[in-house]
Amino acid sequence: MFRIILILAFIAFSGYLLYPTWMDAGHQKSLSTLTGADSAKYYDDNEESIRDNREKRLKLGLDLQGGMYVTMEVDVIQLLEKLARNQDEILREILAETRNESKTSDESVLDIFGRKFDERNMRLSRYYGNIRDANSDVMTYLKDESEKAVERAVEIIRNRIDQYGVSEVSITRSGTRRIILELPGVSDEREVRGLIQETAQLEFKLLTDPQVYYSVLENIDKVLLGKTIDAAGGDSTLAAVDSAAAVAAADSADAAKRREDSLASATMTDEQRVEKFRQEHPFMALLIGTQSGYFATEEQKTRISNILNREDVRKVIPEDVSFAWGAKPITFDDGTQAFQLYSLKARPELTGEVITDARAQIDQGGLGANSVVTMQMDAEGSREWARVTGANVDKQIAIVLDNAVFSAPVVRQKIIGGNSQIDGMENMEEARLLEIVLKAGALPAPVEIIEERTVGPSLGEDSISKGVNSFAIGLILVLVFMVVYYQFGGVPADIAVMFNVVFILAILAGFRGTLTLPGIAGILLTVGMAVDANVLINERIREEFGAGKTMRAALEAGYSRAFPAIIDSNLTTLLTCLILYQFGSGPVQGFALTLMIGIVCSLFTAIIMTRVIFELTLDSSPNLVKLG
Amino acid sequence: MRIFKDLNIDFLGKRNLFYLVSAAVIVAGIASIVFKGLEFGLDFKGGTEVVVRFPRAVEIGELRGIMRNADLGSVEIKSFGGETDYIVRTELKGEGSKISDQIKVTLDKAFTEQIEVLQENRVEAKIGAEIRRDAVIAIFVALIGILVYIGFRFKFIFAVGAVAALFHDVLLTLGIVSICTGLIPGLNLEFDQAMVAAFLTLVGYSINDTVIVFDRVRENLKLFKTSPLEPLMNKSINTTMARTILTSATTMVTMLALLFLGGEPTRGFAFTMVIGIITGSYSSIFVASALTLDWAKARNAKITF
Repeated sequence: MFRIILILAFIAFSGYLLYPTWMDAGHQKSLSTLTGADSAKYYDDNEESIRDNREKRLKLGLDLQGGMYVTMEVDVIQLLEKLARNQDEILREILAETRNESKTSDESVLDIFGRKFDERNMRLSRYYGNIRDANSDVMTYLKDESEKAVERAVEIIRNRIDQYGVSEVSITRSGTRRIILELPGVSDEREVRGLIQETAQLEFKLLTDPQVYYSVLENIDKVLLGKTIDAAGGDSTLAAVDSAAAVAAADSADAAKRREDSLASATMTDEQRVEKFRQEHPFMALLIGTQSGYFATEEQKTRISNILNREDVRKVIPEDVSFAWGAKPITFDDGTQAFQLYSLKARPELTGEVITDARAQIDQGGLGANSVVTMQMDAEGSREWARVTGANVDKQIAIVLDNAVFSAPVVRQKIIGGNSQIDGMENMEEARLLEIVLKAGALPAPVEIIEERTVGPSLGEDSISKGVNSFAIGLILVLVFMVVYYQFGGVPADIAVMFNVVFILAILAGFRGTLTLPGIAGILLTVGMAVDANVLINERIREEFGAGKTMRAALEAGYSRAFPAIIDSNLTTLLTCLILYQFGSGPVQGFALTLMIGIVCSLFTAIIMTRVIFELTLDSSPNLVKLG
Repeated sequence: MRIFKDLNIDFLGKRNLFYLVSAAVIVAGIASIVFKGLEFGLDFKGGTEVVVRFPRAVEIGELRGIMRNADLGSVEIKSFGGETDYIVRTELKGEGSKISDQIKVTLDKAFTEQIEVLQENRVEAKIGAEIRRDAVIAIFVALIGILVYIGFRFKFIFAVGAVAALFHDVLLTLGIVSICTGLIPGLNLEFDQAMVAAFLTLVGYSINDTVIVFDRVRENLKLFKTSPLEPLMNKSINTTMARTILTSATTMVTMLALLFLGGEPTRGFAFTMVIGIITGSYSSIFVASALTLDWAKARNAKITF
C-alpha cells in the first residue's frame, strides 16, 4: 500500500513540475497563431501566467533553440602591467615569460609571476605596493586586484546585457578569471560582441527637477489617452516645459487638478479613486510613487521601457531629459522589489575618464561605522567637479554606468580638490559595488573572448526534430522488444520506462536544468539501459519459476536476488557520470546530468514500480502473469 | 521468447583464443592511431569553423577550390550530414569574428545563392589543451574510482580484472574509431567533447556489464564454496548471457536510432557508443572473467566471500 502511495505521489509531483512546461507550450502556440494587436492583447491578458510558466518550464539548451555561448578571460598580465609603479626591461621580460608560460600551464598567472620573482631573487615591492612590503603582502594585494578586475568585468557585462534586453541570460564565473555568458536566441553575434568588448561609459548626471519630471509623466499620460498636449502644443512644449513659466503653469494646473480630485473624491471610495486615477493616468498608474521617487516592479519595467521608446511618447519628452533605471532593485517594507525610474539631465556633467581611483571604506567618523566610497579625480576633473558641485548643493547627482543608475548621492557642499566621499551605503557590499562601477570607466584589464559558439536557429530546430524523432523511434523499438521477448513480463518494464522518461523531464524542469541535445542522447541511452534492471529481474524470475517455484515465490526471489547486481551495476555507472559531470563542460555536463537523473529514476521505477504492477496483476488475474 | 535457454558454453576454456583476437584488434587499432592518427575536432585543436547550408547540393571539391584562394591558411572542408551542409574550418584564430567573417565573405562572393550559417565556433588553442587534459584526467579518475568501488564491493582481484577489461575496451574502441575514421562517408568521427563523453559512458556501460557477471560469480562462490573457480565462472557467464545480450540489444537499438536519425551533432557519439556496446559486452563475456581467472591462478589466490 505504501509503495502505491509513493508511486502516485511521484507521478503527481512530476505532473506538478511539468505543468508549467505544458502551459508554456500552450501559450507559445497561441501566440504563434495570433498576429499584431491580437497577440499583444493575448500577452496582456495572460501576462502573469506567461511569465510564471516561462520561468518554471523545462528550458532548452542553446544547441536546441539557437543562441550564443561565450567564454571570456580577463587578461591578468595586462592588469599587472598597468598596476606596476614603474616599468623597466626586467619587469617587461618577466611579464613576457609569464605570458608564455601561462599559455601551457595550469598554474594561475599570478603564481607564475610570483615564481619568476622568486627565481630571480627579486622583491615584488620593487614594482608594487610599499617598498618595505614582503612578497606575500604584495601577492595578496595583486590577487585582490585581479579578483576585483574580474568582478568588475562581470558587473559591466551583466549591466550591458540587461540593457540589451536578452531574456534568460546566464552569466557565470568559472575558475579565477573566466566568465561564461550564455545568450539564448541571440543571432546577431556581432552586436553582442561589440556590447561585451566596448569600454564602459561612466557618467555623472544631474537629476531633473521633480516638477519637470511630473509634468513629463503627465504628458506621457496624455499621449497614451490620445489627447493632444495643451498649452502651446506640439513641439514648442518641449522647449517650454523646462522654462520656469511652464513649470509654474504645470504646477498650478497640477494643484488645481488635485483640488478638483479631492473634491470629487469626497464622495468616492478608495477603490473608485484608484480606478479613476488608473483611467486618467495610464502611465503613472504603472509606477509606484514614493517620497524618494518613482519605482516599478520587474514585470512593469519592460512595459514602461517600451512605452518610453514609443515614437509618439518620445516626442513629448524634452530633449534635455533622459530616463534611466536604477541598476539594482530596492526592497520595500512589504517585500516587493522595485527599480527606481530616474529622470536625468540628458547631458552628463562629467564622464568617468576623470576618475583616477575609487575605494570602498568604513568611515569611523561621526556616529559609528559607515560604509562609504571615496573617489579621486585628475586635475581637470577636479576643477570641473568643483564647479558642478558648487552650483548644485543639496541636489542629487546620479552615477550612471552604461545608462543604469548605480547611486544618486546628494551634494552636501562644494568639493574642491577632486577628493569626494559618497555615503549612504547600506553595507560594505553595496559600497564595493559602487567602487567597481566608479573604476569601471575604463576596464583596467581587457577582457578577451577565448571561446565563442553560435548556433543558428534553423540548426536548433533541426536538432530538436531529429532528436525527438530518434528518441521516439528508439523508445518504441525498446518497448516493443520487451513485450515480444517477455510477453506480460515486458509490460511492467515498459510502463516503468515510460514513467522514467517523464520523471527525468520533471526533475530536470524542477531543478531549472536545461535540456540539451546531448541531454536527449542521455535520456535515450537511459531508456536502453533502464530496461536492464527489468531484464535482470525477469531473467531471475524465469530462472526461479523454472526451478519449480510458484509465480509469487519466483517473483519474490527474482526481485531480491537481482537486487545486489542492480545496485552494483548502477552505482558504477553513476560514478562515471559524476566524474563526467565534474570534468566535462557545458553540453557534456548536460549529458552527464540527465544520465545521472535517469539512473536514479530507473532504480526507482524498475525496482518499486514494476513490482507493484506485477503484484497487483497477480492478485487480480494470476493467469495473466507469464514471462514467455 | 527464449534465446539462451540452458546455455552451456566453455567460454573460459577458449580464453587464449579471445586474448589473441583482442590483441590482434588492439594492435591493428594502435597501428592505425600511430600511422593514421585520430581526427581532432575544433574543441581540441582550436581555430575557427563555420557550418553553412547551401540551397542546393554542392561539390566538396568545388568548395575546396574556392577556399584555397581565400588566403586562410590550411582550410579543412567536411560534410556536415547532407550534401548541402558543410563545415569550413581553419586553425587560424583572428581577433573577434575576423576569420569567420572572411570565410562567409569568400563564400558569398563565390555563390549567387543565399547561404545560411548554421553554426559558428571559435575556440582558442588554450581551451583545447584544457579540454584535452580534462578528458584524460576524467578517464583515469573514472578507472581509479571503479577500481576502488569493485575492490570494496567484491575482491581486489575482481577489480583488477574489471579495470584491465576496461582499458581493453577503451583501447579497442579507440582503435576501431581510428580505423573507421574517413572510411564511412558522411560519418564524422572527430575527437571532440561529445566523443570524450562517449568514452566515459562506454566505461560506465562496460563496467555495468562486467559487474553483472561478477555478481553472479560472487553469488555462486557463496553457494558452492568448494567448486573450482573456472567452471563456476563459466556457469555464471552462461546464466547471465541472456541478460548481457538483451541489455546490449536494447541499448544498441536506442543508439542506432540516434546514429541514423539523430543528425550530425550526435553522430560521432552514437557511433562510438555502438562500437563501445559491442566491445563492452564482448569483454564482459570473454575478457574480464578470463583476466580475473588468470590473475588468480598466477597468484595462486583462493577467492572466497
